[in-house]
Amino acid sequence: MLNKWNLREIVLMAILGVVFAVIYLFFFTVGTGITNILTPFGLGPFGYEVIFGIWFIVSIITAYIIRKPGAALISETIAGGVQVLLGSPAGPMLIVSAFIQGLGAESVFAATKYRNYSKGVLIAAGIGPAIFSFIWGLYHSGYIALSLPLLSSMLIVRVISGALIAGLLGKWISERLAETGVLRSYTLGKEWQTKREQKAS
Amino acid sequence: MLTSINPTMKAFAVLIPALLLAFSFDPLTPFIYLVFTIAITFLFGKISFKRWLLVFSPFLLLAVSFAWMTMLHPSDTFSGGEVIFSLWSLEVTSDSFWTGISLGLRSLSFAALSLLFILTTDSTKFMLSLMQQCKLPPKLTFGILAGYRFLPTFRYELQVLKQAHRIRGVGRARGVKERLHQFRRYAIPLLANAIRKAERVALAMESKGFTGESDRTHYHEMSINKRDWVFVSVFFGMFLVSIFISYQLGILNIFGIEFEKY
Repeated sequence: MLNKWNLREIVLMAILGVVFAVIYLFFFTVGTGITNILTPFGLGPFGYEVIFGIWFIVSIITAYIIRKPGAALISETIAGGVQVLLGSPAGPMLIVSAFIQGLGAESVFAATKYRNYSKGVLIAAGIGPAIFSFIWGLYHSGYIALSLPLLSSMLIVRVISGALIAGLLGKWISERLAETGVLRSYTLGKEWQTKREQKAS
Repeated sequence: MLTSINPTMKAFAVLIPALLLAFSFDPLTPFIYLVFTIAITFLFGKISFKRWLLVFSPFLLLAVSFAWMTMLHPSDTFSGGEVIFSLWSLEVTSDSFWTGISLGLRSLSFAALSLLFILTTDSTKFMLSLMQQCKLPPKLTFGILAGYRFLPTFRYELQVLKQAHRIRGVGRARGVKERLHQFRRYAIPLLANAIRKAERVALAMESKGFTGESDRTHYHEMSINKRDWVFVSVFFGMFLVSIFISYQLGILNIFGIEFEKY
């Protein structure tokens, strides 16, 4: 999968994975905080659902910048793996769940044959991992033992969070980065530059 | 002793039971596994109990929270049995109670397994072992290791950024709108710097003759011994044992199907 990549892109993906691993770990604490507030109502785990989208964001950013098959999947898996290196108490299982989330985003980009990176597709790529991770949670975390109304509301919250935080925020961050000019040698940066030249002329 | 097990094999040893334990919905199976994992951690791990407890305790809270949610909102399969108590018009039955306990214990045994790995594994060795045993491409491995090494630098850069803002009279953010603005002022320059670093690292790697071929020699050879295989088998075997004990006692429950002993 990586044969068509140049070293520059691979290293960028690796470093984005590392940076977002730190952010992911930080948001784990945020989620725990919200959970504590919701626990007395028996809705504790919703604390994570609200901000779940943040854990998919590196897929969208990397895929949007590099635009090659595998970007979404591999970057997310790296972020999962680096959290293990950083000593996340969730352990090696994080690599598996990150892989599944990455697969969710990757499948959306694959469905467009890696040609379309419009706003709608990026939002869909934020929703994909929400659904994939939810199915994984049904099995792995035992969500299957929960009642249907609760499950569906959890899924809805997670999908919205994925669309907004991963899809829209991911797109926004990538574009602000393109504006700074550091992405000149990557696909998004080049596209941004041609747009700017067209505007100027 | 745990520190000398091959990291990749250790990762598999804790992953396989964690994947399989998700089948069981009775309280005993995860409980036996939890006790086993904790015993192994302290018998072979040379880990201070205080440090372990410090990392483990947040999970205790999460497990209680999740168990509580399951008790209050179970699916039909798990809501049989007598009513034990009721709260805000929600009834907790004996089935849902034990399912909640089971799921709580399950997440605790996942946490104990993870800690066994995290507290006894060196990050660099784990990456090197992934490259040598799992055929992770060297380009990716060294990219990740380089990024990992930069993390302390990022913290330093954040400090510099904060001081630079302060010296120019940008005060602390108040209110939601200012906070969002502040997020942008910090996040974008930090990420831009990270991207610049990535580019420089890639150039440095290429100029030093790094081709990224997997057919290469290694300074730190990681190997798999017989002991590593024994380690993985013990963890897998213990899963079978815990299932067997639950079955013998007539408690085993897989996806809501109870296995009575005849």
